Amino acid sequence: MIETCFVGSGIRSALGAGMAASVEALRRPPAPPALLCVPLGAGKEDVPCLGPDGAVDGDPEERLYRLIEGAAREAITEAGLSQDDLQTTALLLGTSSLDIAITEAAYARDIADQKAHGGEAHPLMSNSSMGELGRSLARRLGVGGGDFTINTACTASANALSYGDALVRTGRASHALILGTETFNHTTALGFKSLDLLTPIGMRPFDKDRRGIVLGEACAALVVGPRKRGTNSFRLRGSANLCDTHGISAANPDGSTVAAVIRDALAAAGIGPGHVLAIKSHGTASLLNDEAEAAGLKHIFAAGLPLVCALKPFIGHTFGACGLAELVMLCACIRSGFIPGTPGISPAPGDLGIGLTQGPTPVGPGAFLLNYFGFGGNNTALVVTND
Amino acid sequence: MTRRPILIRGCGDYYAPISETPPELGPLVKETLGAQVRRVGRFVQLALIGAARSFGGQPARPDTSVYLTSGRGDMETMAEVMIQLYRDGMPPRPLSFINTVSNSACFYVAKQFGLRGRSSFVCNRYFSFESALQLATLDIEMGVSSSALVGSVDIVLAPLAVHRRRIALASETPVAEAAHWLRLEAGEAGESGPRLTSIETLADRTALLAWLEAQAGDPSSAALAIGQFGDERDIREIAANAGVTANFEYRKDRAYYDSQSGAAISAFLMQSAQASTLLHVNQSAEGRYAAFAVTR
Repeated sequence: MIETCFVGSGIRSALGAGMAASVEALRRPPAPPALLCVPLGAGKEDVPCLGPDGAVDGDPEERLYRLIEGAAREAITEAGLSQDDLQTTALLLGTSSLDIAITEAAYARDIADQKAHGGEAHPLMSNSSMGELGRSLARRLGVGGGDFTINTACTASANALSYGDALVRTGRASHALILGTETFNHTTALGFKSLDLLTPIGMRPFDKDRRGIVLGEACAALVVGPRKRGTNSFRLRGSANLCDTHGISAANPDGSTVAAVIRDALAAAGIGPGHVLAIKSHGTASLLNDEAEAAGLKHIFAAGLPLVCALKPFIGHTFGACGLAELVMLCACIRSGFIPGTPGISPAPGDLGIGLTQGPTPVGPGAFLLNYFGFGGNNTALVVTND
Repeated sequence: MTRRPILIRGCGDYYAPISETPPELGPLVKETLGAQVRRVGRFVQLALIGAARSFGGQPARPDTSVYLTSGRGDMETMAEVMIQLYRDGMPPRPLSFINTVSNSACFYVAKQFGLRGRSSFVCNRYFSFESALQLATLDIEMGVSSSALVGSVDIVLAPLAVHRRRIALASETPVAEAAHWLRLEAGEAGESGPRLTSIETLADRTALLAWLEAQAGDPSSAALAIGQFGDERDIREIAANAGVTANFEYRKDRAYYDSQSGAAISAFLMQSAQASTLLHVNQSAEGRYAAFAVTR
């Protein structure tokens, strides 16, 4: 097996364009969400959102590719990949909504045309292939080592990372370019509105005043490649993904399934709970998911929790992109010597027993746990190290 | 690390050409599973039917991981949600919205059969079934799982004329719904039974030729099957250079759906042909190949 490490990263999110801007923004408290007006029938719905530039008008296709390609090229540049390297690089795209915003816009246009000129309007007439976005990105970025699109809701890009890492470790690809993407779309916005899971007050994970999620937009990229001897770059030390059949929209609130996936990830990494310096929680600030995650964490870390942070208050819930977006942000902050904090959000362990870091908190090299849980009972835990 | 053989423990298929309206699947779900499954659409119904057939009434290993693929996914649910949003001006129904998440189908399969392993929904424009098979194999090789349920589901969304336009088919092209599932297990060295011996994506003709030569063993005992997107002349020429001249045809008269490669393995294993090895090669528009090999 080939030893691997992270050799380049990039991001576009509510914190700005690029890793450096994100690290600086993560030293400060999170900004409040904006309210977007989403048309629905004759009216409009207000939807809380945190996005890269506040505005989501304009051509969704241009926007999608601009954000993804920006993050991808940042990661490729940092990794120093040549055109030849890219030919043997695999692309793994993790996303929940794919390019649905483009399909929505096409259907909306067709309905408007139908009203004006007659004829027929049908949904999904523009690019119904689920693999087309991955293929298109590979072509645009000059990546020739094959592409996989992983579509497992909020765990998608975390799972894409574990597969990409395995492709490099087994020698099937020289490098893996992992992409996580989620751009604003009406289906997701109004779907979560239907579920009554959106809150305009901002995300407050594990807090007694938690009310739910804020929509987030992000495109993140990470290049995994062979590890050079003597370097202490971050690497994926272990991961686990398990199906939780308790419920389709929330993990088992007793924490058993969350604990199982964390336990498997730690075992895959070959470390015990006592070696973990900090935890990046999934922290959706929804009633049931926070309850399940808190119970699972307390079960595994019965001897005492390490630092726990939450990143969604900064960038919103970026769904299929959150696996990678939160990973690259966390790694960049740790390289700068700190774990981000969220002042005033779960300042002390409350009913759920989880207290979050309250500001930039110094941390050294070591092992870090990252949790992700998604619709469809998809639970993932990653363990990364830089020692 | 010693690679354990990947044994094929079962196959389950559903295939139905659609000439007008797709049939109700509820009765078949009940007949196949022994109980109704409520509040699921035909994408999930097809997934359940195919998966149940692959188990053939045998109990499932709880540590089994699920790998599902599709060319277009659950178009029925997605179209319903988009019609609600844009034509009717209504927000999506909560369960419909949750079911737009592709891996919801993995959830229903895992729940139905008591599976608690990994759960992945994966897609690729030309190699949908091959991509799921490749990730399942990767997990077995890495020791992440030792039992895998790998499947594809493709549905038809009426009316057919619109369906054909949606997936860019000529107006008279026959279309079908299908589900294909394989049960794989990491076996022990020397264990007998049909097995998946290789699954790879290959960059070009040179790589394909090398793969065919490595897999064919005795070329006279191997048969070549060409996937639905493959250039037959190109692939047959490369195979002939590797000494493989026998063909295995499983797509003849098959109506169009996106993941036809999923049908190859069970068709090969059910056929009492002379060939002991199946070499299946598919091809993308970019000229890459996806190839897998199965021995009886």
